[in-house]
Parts: sequence; structure tokens; C-alpha cells
Amino acid sequence: MQMACTQSDEVSAASSKKPIRFAIAQAPLNLDPRYATDAASERVNRLLYRSLVDFDAQSKPVPQLARWQRVSPTQYRFTLIEKEFQKFHHGKPLTAHDVAATYASFAQMKNSPHSAEFSNIDSIKVRDAASLDFHLKIPDPQFAAKLIIGILPADLIAAGHDFSHQPVGSGPLKFFAWDNTLTLQRIADGQLITLSEVRDPTVRVLKLIRGEADILQGDLPPELVKYLQTQDRIKVATSVGSNFSYLGLNLQDPALKNPLVRQAIAHAIDRQAIIKQVLVPGSREAAAILPPEHYTNQSSYVANDYDPALAKALLQKAGIQLPLKLVYKTSTDAQRVRLATIMQAQMREAGIALEIRSLDWGTFFEEVKQGNFQLFGLTWVGIKTPEIYAKAFGSDQLPPKGFNRGKFIDPELDSLIQTAMLQSDEENKAWQAVTQHIHAQLPYIPLWYEGQFVAMRNDIQAYAPKADGNWDDFMRIKRADIQDSDIEVTINHAH
Amino acid sequence: MVKQFANFVIVVFGVLLLTFLLVHMVPGDPVEVMLGESAAPADRESLRAELGLSQPLYQQFGSYLSKLSQGDLGKSIHTQTPIIELIKQRYPATLKLTFLALIIGLLIGVPVGIYAALKNNQWQDWMVMLVSVRLSSMPAFWLGPMLMLVFAVWLGWFPVSGMESPTSIILPAVTLGIGLSAILSRMTRTSLLEVLHDDYIRTARAKGVSEYRVIIRHALRAALLPIITIVGLQMGSLLAGAVITETIFSWDGIGRLLVESIEKRDYPVTQACVLIIALSYVLVNRATDIAYRLADPRVRFAA
Repeated sequence: MQMACTQSDEVSAASSKKPIRFAIAQAPLNLDPRYATDAASERVNRLLYRSLVDFDAQSKPVPQLARWQRVSPTQYRFTLIEKEFQKFHHGKPLTAHDVAATYASFAQMKNSPHSAEFSNIDSIKVRDAASLDFHLKIPDPQFAAKLIIGILPADLIAAGHDFSHQPVGSGPLKFFAWDNTLTLQRIADGQLITLSEVRDPTVRVLKLIRGEADILQGDLPPELVKYLQTQDRIKVATSVGSNFSYLGLNLQDPALKNPLVRQAIAHAIDRQAIIKQVLVPGSREAAAILPPEHYTNQSSYVANDYDPALAKALLQKAGIQLPLKLVYKTSTDAQRVRLATIMQAQMREAGIALEIRSLDWGTFFEEVKQGNFQLFGLTWVGIKTPEIYAKAFGSDQLPPKGFNRGKFIDPELDSLIQTAMLQSDEENKAWQAVTQHIHAQLPYIPLWYEGQFVAMRNDIQAYAPKADGNWDDFMRIKRADIQDSDIEVTINHAH
Repeated sequence: MVKQFANFVIVVFGVLLLTFLLVHMVPGDPVEVMLGESAAPADRESLRAELGLSQPLYQQFGSYLSKLSQGDLGKSIHTQTPIIELIKQRYPATLKLTFLALIIGLLIGVPVGIYAALKNNQWQDWMVMLVSVRLSSMPAFWLGPMLMLVFAVWLGWFPVSGMESPTSIILPAVTLGIGLSAILSRMTRTSLLEVLHDDYIRTARAKGVSEYRVIIRHALRAALLPIITIVGLQMGSLLAGAVITETIFSWDGIGRLLVESIEKRDYPVTQACVLIIALSYVLVNRATDIAYRLADPRVRFAA
């Protein structure tokens, strides 16, 4: 009865404001942060839960709920920030006990994708309601950056609550309902935000134009973004992105294990032309997995310029008989196939005959994981920590243990990574050496960081795209009470 | 009756076996989808064992059949929801969409076919056949967005997609039904043309029966058998077509559930969806047989 009254009050409070409707390509799969791996779930969970640590604009770990101190190589002390002392959405205060319960629960979970990440935790000791110590099995200077899992209430963990479908966190938005549409409510003002899955990009665009959706972000081919930019009632905001697109190489392949051949491929792609013609605004050339603004990137690396003559000369120097025949695997996504076709034409100029094989996503990704490829195209999404270099290129990180799908074996890089991993976040010179070495060896061919964009109805305000595509601006987004005449003025001004 | 039941059992078993084998042959692992690549190998093995995926295929199939014989379709690997609940939620939406599409197909296809037959070899007949060929060759993934653009965005008559409004079903049903109407119009025209020159039609006309009665009571009834056959066969196509249409229109039916389950490698849900679609197809064929008997006394007496 009490719950019914509370729900009713919430509905009446929220009903004074029209919900803000977000059309997304893929609905969240799991709202329990201990299980979530898909991008949509992680973006929603950032709003529903708060974590001990977050990242700043340079991807450096910074306190969110707690400050930390490395007491010893294997002991970290976290102290909850007093002003952040707050309540969970079910009314109970968030304390160190909840933090301990959240991370301790990984030890009992066998089906969490994140369990392995926390297997280095030996014990967690709560000192008082505001502080706790993590004791590690082996030293890990990057440990704090891993504590980004949303904190769950200890009482509900103990009760076996279904956080996947009825999340209870302490974030700025709380769970409201989830049938066909996920509805969240902003705690500050009761604003409802709905997230509806609309898989087809054209349909998402039509819904936005028709006014059935207020906002959509990413996951559109560039021609639809350009089309939206011509629509009077729609505004499009763009920003640079940090998600890294690359060509993966099978480094056990007789031709591709030769660095000269890899350099030739890098020089055979006209990234500038592709970015200008077929990528969304805000896209930029990439030379490393982590973007230039990342705190480990003090030197700015330059992507290999397009020079088909040089590429051909490098192939000849490597003793390759031209044309070099390579098979490129990609998904059936229309934009990916289009990019593959363009690269095929560009590489032909350099004496590389690229055969394209597009496969459905599940089959394609399985082929990549199994190492059944010569070349493939993929994108790293949401990478924040330099540990990615170890996971992607470490000799001990071959699948299924890690992501070294191209089987890159380089003892010198292993040694550089090992040195870097033992340094704290503040010391980044070792990571620069790692980046430098990878840049020279080209175990991946860096392509670009794809730009981010948001398309929204003109009455939507206080929302901007972020480099990693997060939806954090749902904390601020609002609907302006503007007339059509105001809209015209805004549009004219924008033009 | 016994023979028909035996046929039914053989078809269903064949569908189950084929679906099971095909689903397990497709590259991709539900455990990898659930845990991601960074999961520890021990955790993967543990989950694989928990889900029964580490058993040999024949054992998995045997266990699946055994549960199925007790009416247990299993649980979704990803959400742990009983599949029967998912089917109960989604199947009525697909049935609603398919039947409305069928009605649209009949309402457009049969009258247009009659009209074309009556205007045989005149410009109206050629136009109808031209449009019919065009419509039947339009794929749902193109026709759907075009209907959205015209009737939702430009005219504002219907919602673009979703299930929130009572009128949300119209555009997906038209998308599905328009192809059927094109096929039905051609079939109706051809069947009618065959019977319109028969002696009994000439006799009816000679007796002074009105043209309306000649067409509707005499000719159309005789031409109905091929139309029933096509409707029965096309019901299966409608169910299959619903997979694409439901995805485009965000219609929460069994077709959309099937697509989602394939993407997540949720084997039990994929198998259940294919089974339900196959059963529907078999039942529709059975209903077609019954309709045959009702429409044609010769079939009734032969049976």
C-alpha cells in the first residue's frame, strides 16, 4: 500500500513534465553493474549508480565517491567523500559496508564478466562507516582505476535482489519502469527519461523528425546525419570521439609478420579522404589506441600519411610479389562494408589486392577471436586505461586469455609493458615508451577515432555528445518551453 | 487421421532436429556473449557446465526433447526468464499483426484480381498487373520506411513505429499485407479467367443471372481453391516476413524475439521461436485442408 502511494506520488510529480524520449539502437541488456558489458547498460548504469572512482577528461582516475591512498604496494585505503555521503534510491545510506559487499560479491559470482578483474583482491576490511581497505594478492599500481563498478546496497545484495531488471543505486537517476521501454527518473526534479530500442537507423531518424523521439545519439550512417542537419526542427551537435578504429593483422601470416608490409598497408590508406567523405563530423585520424588527450600521450603521434608509391616501394623492398593478395574480414554493417570497399580501391593503387569478406556480426567476431583472418576491421569502445596495451599486445594475452588476436609476440614490448604496469598513474613516461614502440611496430594499423554526434529536437537543451559516447548529460538535459517562432530564430542564427 | 498425426510428429521432429543442429553450428558462443572475452577460462567452463552446454550435442538434444515432452521450453540463457512466458508475451502480437496483414491482403488482392479479370487484356488489367508485380517485388525493409515517411512523417496519420498507439499496427500490417495482396490479385485474376469461359458460367448468363451473381456466386466460388492454397502458403511467408517487419517497426512479436535471440546466441529461445513458427505453419496448412473441404464438395466426399 505504501509502495503504491509512493509510486502514485512520483507519477503525479513527474507527469507535470513531458518525458524526454531517447531512441537507441540497442536496449540495455543488464542493469546490474556486476554483469553489464554492453555499451547501453554501462551508459545507463553510470547514471543509476555511483562508483568509487571515475575518469577525468584526460582519462585519469579521479575520486567519485571516495578518495584513495596506497598504504602499501598491496593495500589501498578508500575514504568516502563526506559531501558524497548519500542515500540509495531505496532510502538507506551508502556506507563502506555497501562498498565492501559490492566488491566481495564478485568472489561468489561465477558468471560475472568482471570477476576476473577483481580476482587480485585478497580481502576487504571495513574500518568504519566511511573507510575501508582493499588488500591485494600482488601489487597493482593501477588498481584504483579498476574500481569503477557502481556500488550496490549491501542489504539488497544479501537478499539476492534482481538488480539486472530492478536496479537500486545511488546515482542521479533512478529506475522507474521497464516494459518495452526503460524509464528513468531524475531525482533532482522528477524529470522522466525514456529509452526505447529502435534498431533500424532510418526509423530512428523518422521518429525524431515526426516527434516520437526527442533525441538520438550515434549509430547512424553519415548520410543520415547530413540529412538531419538539413531539418528545421532538428539540431545536430558533434564532438570529437575517442573510440579507436583499426585494422587488425594476423602477425603469424608470412607476409604480415614483416614490419615493412605493415608499414606499406599503413601508407596505402587515405584516412583524410575517408574522414572527409564518409565519416561523421568530429572524426579524426588515429595513430594510437589512446587518443592524444589521454594522460599517457605526452607526445603526439602522427598517423602514416597516404603515399601509395611509398607503400608499393616498401612491399617491393620486403620482397613481396605484387599484387599482394590479402583477405579483409568485416561485418555486414553497410557502413563497414562501404569503408572496406573504399580501402580496397585505395590499396589497389599501392599494389595490394584486397578481397572483402563480410560476415554476420556473430560469425565475424568469432572468426576474429579464433584468429581466422589476415586483416579485419574493428573498433575499441570506451577504453580509458593504458592497460589495454598489455591486453591487446602482450605475448601472454593470446585468446582466450586476452585480446592479442593477431598473436603479436614481442619480448621488447612485453618488457616495456611490465615496467609501465608497475608504475603509478602519475608516472606515465613508461607508457609513452610503450606507445612509441607500438607506433613503430604497427601490430594494428590505426585508422581513426570516429566522431560523436547527437541529433535532437530544437526544444531539447543542455545535452552535448561526449568523446566516449556516454549519456551523462541526462543529469542536466531539459526541455525548453519555446514557441515555434523562437525555433525559427534559433535556426536562422545557427545558419 | 492417424496418418496426419504421424506426419505432424515427423515434421515437428524434423524442425526440432534441424533447428537444434543449425543453431549449434552457427559460430559464436552464448557463454562468451554473456561473460565477454575478459572472463577467466574457469568461469567460462563453470557457466558452460551450468547451462548444460558442455555436454555432447546428442545429450543436449535428448535433454531438450525430454523437457519439451513435458511442455517445458526451458529458460532464456540471458535473462533466465521461462521461455513459455516470453512466447506468451510476444506471440499474440505476431498473430495480431499476421492476421491483420492477411485481411489487408485479401481485401485488396481479391477485388483487384476480380477487376483485372473482368477487364482482361484492357489497359486497366495491364496496369493492375504492372502494379501488382511492382508491389510483390518490394522488400519489407524498403517498403516499411517508405510507408513511414509518407503516412507517418508527411501525413502524420500513424505513428512511425512502436506499439503505444492502437493505430501502430496499421503500417506494419500494410507492409506485410501488400505483398500478399499483389500475389492474391494475380492468382484471383488467373483463376477467374479460367472459369469465366466455362459452360456453367455461360449457362448462368444465358439464364439471365445478374453479372454480380455470376461472378461472386458462381465463378469466384469455383476459383476459390487456388486462392485458398496461396493464402495457406502465404501465411507461412507472413510469419517469416514478420521477422523483418517487426524489427523495422519495433513490434514486440515473436519475429523480433527470434532476431534478438540469434544475436545473443540464446539457443533455447531461438529453438522455441522456430518451433512456434513451424507449428503455426503446420496448423495453417491443416486449416487450409479444412477450408478446401468446405469450399469444394468433391474434396469433402473424397476424404
